[in-house]
Amino acid sequence: MEGTAVAVCEILKYLIIHWKCETAGVSKGTLLEGQLVISIEALNSKHQTNTLHCVTTIASAGSIYGGLVLEKFLKEIQSTLPGFSAKLPWTSKEASSSQDISGVTPFQMTFEVHEKPRILMTNSLMIKDFLHKIVMVHPKIRFNFNVRVNGILSTELFGAKNEPTLNLSNGMALVVNYQHYVRAKSGTTEFFCSRIHPVLGPPVVLFIPDDVAGVDLLGELILTPAAALCPCPKVFSNQLNRISSVSIFLYGPSGLPLISPSREQPPTTVLKDTFCFIDWKKYHLCVVPNLDLNLDRDLVLPDVSYRVECSKEDQSQNMDPQGQTLLLFFFVDFHSGFQVKQMELWGVHTLLTTHLSAILMESHSVVQDSIEVAVDQALEQHHQAVKAHQKLQASLSVAVNSIMSIVTGSTSSSFRKSCFQALQAADTQEFGTKLHKSFHEITQYRFLHHGSCEVKQQLLPEKNDAEQSTEDAHENSSLEFLAGTSRQVTNKRLKKGRLRHGVEDTRAFHSARAPSPSEAAPRPAEPTATSLTPSRASPGSGLEDALWLQEVSNLSEWLSPDPGP
Amino acid sequence: MAFAPVGPEASFFAAVDQHRASLLAALRGGGAERAGGGPRPASSSQVLASIENVVRDIITSLARNEAPAFTIDDRSSWENIKFEDSVGLQMVSHCTTRKIKSDSPKSVKNFALILKILSMIYKLVQSNTYTTKRDIYYTDSQLFGNQTVVDSIITDVSCMLKVPRRSLHILSTSKGLIAGNLRYIEEDGTKVYCSCTTAVAVPSNIQGIWNLITDAKFLLIVEKDATFQRLLDDNFCSRMSPCVIVTGKGVPDLNTRLLVKKLWDVFHVPIFTLVDADPHGIEIMCIYKYGSMSMSFEAHNLTVPAIRWLGLLPSDIKRLNIPKDALIPLTKRDQMKLDSILKRPYVTCQPFWRREMEIMANSKMKAEIQALTFLSSDYLSRVYLPNKLKFGGWI
Repeated sequence: MEGTAVAVCEILKYLIIHWKCETAGVSKGTLLEGQLVISIEALNSKHQTNTLHCVTTIASAGSIYGGLVLEKFLKEIQSTLPGFSAKLPWTSKEASSSQDISGVTPFQMTFEVHEKPRILMTNSLMIKDFLHKIVMVHPKIRFNFNVRVNGILSTELFGAKNEPTLNLSNGMALVVNYQHYVRAKSGTTEFFCSRIHPVLGPPVVLFIPDDVAGVDLLGELILTPAAALCPCPKVFSNQLNRISSVSIFLYGPSGLPLISPSREQPPTTVLKDTFCFIDWKKYHLCVVPNLDLNLDRDLVLPDVSYRVECSKEDQSQNMDPQGQTLLLFFFVDFHSGFQVKQMELWGVHTLLTTHLSAILMESHSVVQDSIEVAVDQALEQHHQAVKAHQKLQASLSVAVNSIMSIVTGSTSSSFRKSCFQALQAADTQEFGTKLHKSFHEITQYRFLHHGSCEVKQQLLPEKNDAEQSTEDAHENSSLEFLAGTSRQVTNKRLKKGRLRHGVEDTRAFHSARAPSPSEAAPRPAEPTATSLTPSRASPGSGLEDALWLQEVSNLSEWLSPDPGP
Repeated sequence: MAFAPVGPEASFFAAVDQHRASLLAALRGGGAERAGGGPRPASSSQVLASIENVVRDIITSLARNEAPAFTIDDRSSWENIKFEDSVGLQMVSHCTTRKIKSDSPKSVKNFALILKILSMIYKLVQSNTYTTKRDIYYTDSQLFGNQTVVDSIITDVSCMLKVPRRSLHILSTSKGLIAGNLRYIEEDGTKVYCSCTTAVAVPSNIQGIWNLITDAKFLLIVEKDATFQRLLDDNFCSRMSPCVIVTGKGVPDLNTRLLVKKLWDVFHVPIFTLVDADPHGIEIMCIYKYGSMSMSFEAHNLTVPAIRWLGLLPSDIKRLNIPKDALIPLTKRDQMKLDSILKRPYVTCQPFWRREMEIMANSKMKAEIQALTFLSSDYLSRVYLPNKLKFGGWI
């Protein structure tokens, strides 16, 4: 029998493709909007030791599956997942007759598997990552993911409805809140922009190699790459930001992740060698594959990850070790002059999942050029920010040295004394240090007034980290529950949009009862003031891009010739 | 005073002497020398204290967690300039200022450079040594970028501290030349005897020269070095002796202007200008007479409003029948400059100058002094200038 993760992800893929095809005929380009609930109920198996009997239910919270022939759906899913056995609570006929007043056709299916607790935990993480990846391009789809293990419930919400996005074609929008991609620095105070600013490369047509058999598409595959630095390069910090890692995300038609969650196919087989498509030497980046990806479950995990090795130059300069991440998104879409049928789209997805590298290699030159356009522009912002930072540091160094020269060279003891007292320095050395620090702090707090780059003070006191680790402990305990142990504690966590910042965390209260529907209900989708901006509808995104372009041009202030005093 | 050349007879200079008498009368009538309004020479300790005050203010700002900034009078705005007939262009007392902030990407570099130059000045004053603006630039040319930046910052510092540049121990490199009936002693004791046949460089320390001696009837400011050399070659100083001629080789440097000012203050000798009949020449003449916007804060030390325009006047072109081949059409830039000069506040009290500029504007033509060579090769020194001086052809 297939694992839970594979089954859930294939089912969701099927449903989303169906959903896309249904809505394409009605309003092409509109974002998919709706809610799905995925629940896993796991109890100790009565027949096998150290094994959980898992019942997984996938249901829609509203009408999103009009036109879905349930029996056909089940048959096609079973053909994809050998050994898969699922149940439907009702047939299509029964479903259509049970429509409510609004004409809603509810959807629900259930399947059972037996899994070891460790496997279930891994599968749950894979499902979460899959859901997280989906909402990154379908911000209006919301997933409720519930896992109850021997009575202990863990609930998570995935959605990004009110987050800033960048409109892509064909009814998708990329969420540009940086917190999905990198973890903010802790224990420091700095101003930064909360968004990433993806630059799209020109779309290119992909050709299918002749040796990829059995393919007969009535349309074109189009690759649109996007590149962005995360966090935003406009960081006003003491330290230079180097690029420390590269994360690549692969999306197929309908905005579905191309990487299978089962990890049977490692990402590197799907996208064999990015060195063919990206000239890392051009950007002076020495990249090595990073296989250690399961570090932070809050973030959407990249499909391919590289670590950038620190050069000697970086070490000699005061480079921030955490650095920035270069995010690359490869969106492969399918365009046809005819209305795309579901199975065709499903076939395209399967084709890409198994032959992406070969397909990209077939159109190597145009793919490389398109990616280069995006990366060049994204890194240009970084270079400008680095130059601006260097210019600032050089100027402040001159200012500090000049003041030191005057103060230390003065024969007026009253003058020197007043200077030392002002900065509360005991001696010349301490005075110099404090002078340097004062200048840096002053310039660090410079507030950037214009552009869509938000600037807000990000205080991450250490107590947040303590809460974070406590939350992790709770999650771990709920999933690593061993057979034979009963718990009186209900662990309930509510998360919204997979963001930990500013999100309240309802602690488990010590009760054996199951959470009531109201307790399990997600909190209203209101962004926290400190970390989110109001969501922008499509027209607003154009304004954001215009303001961002203005902001990038403002970066040129640092680099343009001085007008002279 | 035994000057070798013997010039024309005394009656030749009757107009010049009469002009001088009227100037002296005007000076007496206007009271004592105009009240000093510009920067006064400051002692070394005063300069050091001023710089220390600036630094102390910066550190106090930092201690208060405020970004320090320099506040400098805006020398580039006409709104901050007023015109006084007796002084020329000078800064108003409550002028607008501009801030050079340490926390702005546009100005942080300038902020740092100002501090850098302040620290260099501090060291110069402490050690009682001098340097030039050029040398300052070359101490770190990569940091400063170009000479203009250094020059501008030094002027800003002079304006900010309200001391003349000389007091900052920064000398301007003199490019001017002087010849004729003049001698003086420089600060270091060097005796300088100007001659009528060869030029002497304008000294770099005008403030320090003393024991100036001359019996010159007039001082002729020549716009261009080429014309100056031509006059020397034609023995003009000897034939028009006693006189002094000086050139700033185009737009005059500070030392040349200071020297002209000093000669006026000490001797009240009539000063005439010989410039091309074009907007650029007129502007150069206005710098000597009324000063410049950028140095308006030091106008009292630099301007000589008593200067008169001797030639080449646009009206001379028609009067002398200078051939049209010798004339040059005004360019668009010339036209814009001419329009700008006509709008300046000092032109309103110079109706004759305005008339000449209008002649130029209407004819849309300009002429260099060298146009007079179309009449004869030595027309300038043998005919034009002597006649102008003899018959009072200045405005």
